[in-house]
Amino acid sequence: MPRHARSLIPVACVALLALVATAPRAAAQDTDPLSKLDASSRFAVEAIIDSARVKGLPVAALRSKALEGVAVHADGRRIVSVVHGLFSSMREARSVLGPVNDTDLEAAAEVLSAGVQPEALTSFRDAPRGRPLASAFTVLVDLVTRGVPRDDAASAIVKLWRSGARDADFYGLWNSVKSDILEGLNPGAALQNRVREFPGRAPGNTLTPPTGQPESPSS
Amino acid sequence: MTEESQHPYVERIVSEARRPVELDPAARDHLMALVRMEAAPRRRSSRVRDLFRVRSLVLSPAAGMAFAAGLVGLGVFAGALYSHRDGRSTAAGQPSVVAVSNPQLPVSDTVVQFIVMAPRANAVSLVGDFNGWNAAATPMRPTTRAGVWSVTLPLAEGRHLYAYIVNGSQWLADPGAPIASDDGFGHKNSVILVRPGAIL
Repeated sequence: MPRHARSLIPVACVALLALVATAPRAAAQDTDPLSKLDASSRFAVEAIIDSARVKGLPVAALRSKALEGVAVHADGRRIVSVVHGLFSSMREARSVLGPVNDTDLEAAAEVLSAGVQPEALTSFRDAPRGRPLASAFTVLVDLVTRGVPRDDAASAIVKLWRSGARDADFYGLWNSVKSDILEGLNPGAALQNRVREFPGRAPGNTLTPPTGQPESPSS
Repeated sequence: MTEESQHPYVERIVSEARRPVELDPAARDHLMALVRMEAAPRRRSSRVRDLFRVRSLVLSPAAGMAFAAGLVGLGVFAGALYSHRDGRSTAAGQPSVVAVSNPQLPVSDTVVQFIVMAPRANAVSLVGDFNGWNAAATPMRPTTRAGVWSVTLPLAEGRHLYAYIVNGSQWLADPGAPIASDDGFGHKNSVILVRPGAIL
C-alpha cells in the first residue's frame, strides 16, 4: 500500500467515528431543552417521566418542571429532586381522588406540595362529573402560600365545596382574603372573616360573581 | 481399424466430408455486405474509462483533515434531516433514551392578554409552561400607559403556571393571579385556568 494511502487511514477512521458520534446528538441538542442537563440528571428526569407515563399520570407538568429548573439554572440534582417530588404528589393525589382529569390532578398535587394533608382531598373524591376541582385547589394553595394555616384553609375550602360553591365563589373568597392580607390583616383571621360571608347553599346553585373578581390573571 | 479396411459406404461419407465447399462468389459478397452494414459495438468513452481506472489519490495532511471535517458536517446535516424534532431517530424505529412528553397542546381558541405593571423595567418577558420557560420566547411590549407591559397569546385549555421576568433576571409572580406553591427553585409562580371561553 502506498505511503500516502496509509496516512489517510487514521484520518478516515477519526472522521467516521466523529460522524457516528456527533450526528444524532447534534440533531437532538437542537430540539430538546433537557439536553442542557447533565447526563445523569437527564437520565433520572426521563426515568421519572417514563414512570409517570406508565402510571397514567400527566407527564407535561413533570417535563415543564424540569424545564423550569433548566431555565433558572438550577443544579441538576435539585431538578431531579423537584421533579420527583411532583411525581410523588401526583401519584398520591391520584390514589386519593381516583380518576380525575389532568388539570384537576395537577392542581391536587400542588395542594399536597403546599403541605396540606391528603385527607383534606378525600372530600373531593366523589365530585359530580363536570364539576371542576382545579379552582378550589388553586385557591387553597394560594391561601396557604399567603400564610393562612393549612388546616384552616383546607377546612374553609372543603366547607365551600360541600355547600355547592362554584369557581366564582372560590375566586371571590380568594380575592377578598388577598386584599385583607395585603392591608395587613392576619391571614387566618382574614379567611375566617370572609368565609362567614359565604352562606351554605344547595349544590348546583350558581352564585353571583363577587365584585372585583379578575377577568384575566393579570393585574 | 484403418482407412483401407473401412466400409465403402463409410469411405464415401469421409470423402464427401473432405471435399471443399464451393461457395458462390455472389453469396460471399452479399454476406460481407451485410456484415459491413451491422453497427459497430459501442465502446466506453475515454472519460468513462477514466472513472473506472484504478488510481491513487495523494492528499496533504491538511487536505485530509478538511475532508474529514466535511464528512462530519455531512453527517450532522444528515442527522438533522432524518431525525424528529424531539431528537428521536426515525431510522431505528424504536424509542431512544430521550423520553419526551407530548409538547403539542391542543389547538386553543382562548386568547389571553397578560398585563403587568413594571414602571422601572427596561424589558419584561412572560415565561410559563406554555413556552418552556424560555425567557426569549414571549417578550412583552410597553403599552400606551406608562409602566404597563402587555402581551397577548393563545393558550390551550387547562392549568398553566407562569411568571414574568423583569430586566432579564427578576422573577415576578403575577400580583393579580393566584400563587402556586413554591416551585422548588426558590421562585413563586402564578396560576391561570383556561376553560372554553373562560379564564380563571
